[in-house]
Amino acid sequence: MLNEPARRISERALTLWRVYGIIQFLVVLLINIGLLAAVYFWNWPMWLTAIGAAVLVGEVVLSIWLIPKLRWSRWRYEVTEKDIDLQYGIFFITRTLVPMVRVQHVDTEQGPLLRKYRLSTISISTAATVHKIPALDEYEAEELRQSISALARVAEEDV
Amino acid sequence: MFEPKRLHPISAVINFVKGLKDAILPILAVIFLNGGFRSGSIEWIPLMVTAGFLLLLLIGGIVRWLRFTYRMEEGELRIEYGLFFRKKRYIPIERIQSLDYSEGIFHRPFQLVKVSVETAGSSGDQKAEAELTAITREEADQLEALIYEHKGGTGVQIEEGEEATEFTPAEPKRTKVFEMKMKEIVLMAVTSGGAGVVLSGVVVFFSQFMDVLPIGRIYGQVVDWIQVGVLIIAFSVLIILVIAYGISILLTILRYANFQVNIMEDDLILTRGWLEKKQTTIPLNRIQGIRIDENLIRQPIGYASVTIISAGGSALKGDEHQLRVLPLIKKSQIGNVLHHILSDYEMAESLVRPPRRSMIRYMIRQSWLFWLAVIPISYFFYPFGLLSLIVALLATGLGWLCYKDAGFNITDKQLTLQTRTFIKQTYLMKKHRIQAASLMQTVLQQRVQLGGVRVSLKSGVGGAVATCMYLNQEDAERVLVWYK
Repeated sequence: MLNEPARRISERALTLWRVYGIIQFLVVLLINIGLLAAVYFWNWPMWLTAIGAAVLVGEVVLSIWLIPKLRWSRWRYEVTEKDIDLQYGIFFITRTLVPMVRVQHVDTEQGPLLRKYRLSTISISTAATVHKIPALDEYEAEELRQSISALARVAEEDV
Repeated sequence: MFEPKRLHPISAVINFVKGLKDAILPILAVIFLNGGFRSGSIEWIPLMVTAGFLLLLLIGGIVRWLRFTYRMEEGELRIEYGLFFRKKRYIPIERIQSLDYSEGIFHRPFQLVKVSVETAGSSGDQKAEAELTAITREEADQLEALIYEHKGGTGVQIEEGEEATEFTPAEPKRTKVFEMKMKEIVLMAVTSGGAGVVLSGVVVFFSQFMDVLPIGRIYGQVVDWIQVGVLIIAFSVLIILVIAYGISILLTILRYANFQVNIMEDDLILTRGWLEKKQTTIPLNRIQGIRIDENLIRQPIGYASVTIISAGGSALKGDEHQLRVLPLIKKSQIGNVLHHILSDYEMAESLVRPPRRSMIRYMIRQSWLFWLAVIPISYFFYPFGLLSLIVALLATGLGWLCYKDAGFNITDKQLTLQTRTFIKQTYLMKKHRIQAASLMQTVLQQRVQLGGVRVSLKSGVGGAVATCMYLNQEDAERVLVWYK
């Protein structure tokens, strides 16, 4: 039957996602401070801060600790001559097969944070769908992009 | 056909009417809101503005016609147009997939057709379709012949325009593979979901209408009136429903009258329509898959409709009507007719079904929201709120139907996926047309060894997705292994 795809994405992805989590946390923190001020100056109801605090704690547990961990451990991929095999998702697990002959083009992209961690996101487009592998090591991504575009033969005109 | 040609002058009128149609709401607003009909005195300025606007539209229509030229040159269809900005659109003939014709009421008296040029809309392409609003039949035939000849690669280099126009094509043979009788068209109209569309239109109209009314002021009176006139309202709603239904039936009949499917060379040609005749061409090699729809009314009486999923041009714009090859057909006949049109597609004889333990999941999936809503509704609107129980039960029943109708079948080259969200849909897909296949599971489903399958096809400029949920995990994996 189906074996899991062999390769994992870069371990630095974990760090990156935690950084995203921290940024989110900071935004929530700012809102909380605003809320506190509102309660203090305009007598907004107290329970609002309780909700705010709960969200803050949830943010720490989920966005910084749990979600990046689960996401990273689920993400697997494998690229062979014949097809691209992806597995991802925390609660909804998706396993996708894309035959190499269907691939129309491959892109890599890199935002400022990704660049800082020397990571790169690769997106593989067919005529109808786009598939992304996030946060690969940038050399690995570059290599992968070249090998995929070499393997994906000239797209047949009749898609 | 080297010298630039104009469209038939009637297209100026068509442009004008089209502009008028787009601008009808603002014009009415100007007349009725500012016109002051109620006070008796007509204000001249708004009327003048309207008249000026109409004149502008008319001139615009004429100028647009004057500016629009098309010609065949160096293996390209070259179109130049534009009211203020001159635009040029050159379409290489190889990129032209097909020409679609339609004849509206303006075209009929002059033997004209509207031609839509369909191009291969592969992704990343810039928009390249074109529309010739009105040209004569002969011109259209000439155009088609030129394209046909160019593509045929007969190697005949046309050197002078004169020769080209004299060229008469050897029209390839057409074979009729399907037609609809009036009886079937009426049956189709009666059982279509079109009634729903018109109805939602009516609903939207009324909700708009309600917004405009000064609700607060007349609310008190309305409440009194409602208590007196509940019956009257119910009755008028019923009347509106019946009228809407009637209109939708009439529209369907007009749209699908004289429906015929022909095969010519490698193209499928659909002709239909009564007031407005339409001809759609679908190149066979662009067909990505087939979808069979059975709605809740048609399924019990054994009828279905068949739609083609085509990678065709961007001009199709997801207009389902254009790709419905068999708008209504006895389900038992589909295999037979399909055999003539697309001989490599076959109807699956038996399906692999989801296991029994999926049943409850289907039922919950379709109805949990309704059950959740039942609690507050019953509580706040006791006792009539309890009626919401019926809705929730119906949704649960639909879930059960979804379970009954789900399934798939694999043959050597074909995947058949059957699924229902509301309408029962059966997708027939060839392995080499599927763009990507996925296995989907939640963590909970993984524990009980269930999984869903999702496959993507190319359709128009985007994609079509077929899913089948809560299958046995090994069955779902089998689909992926087959695809591999």
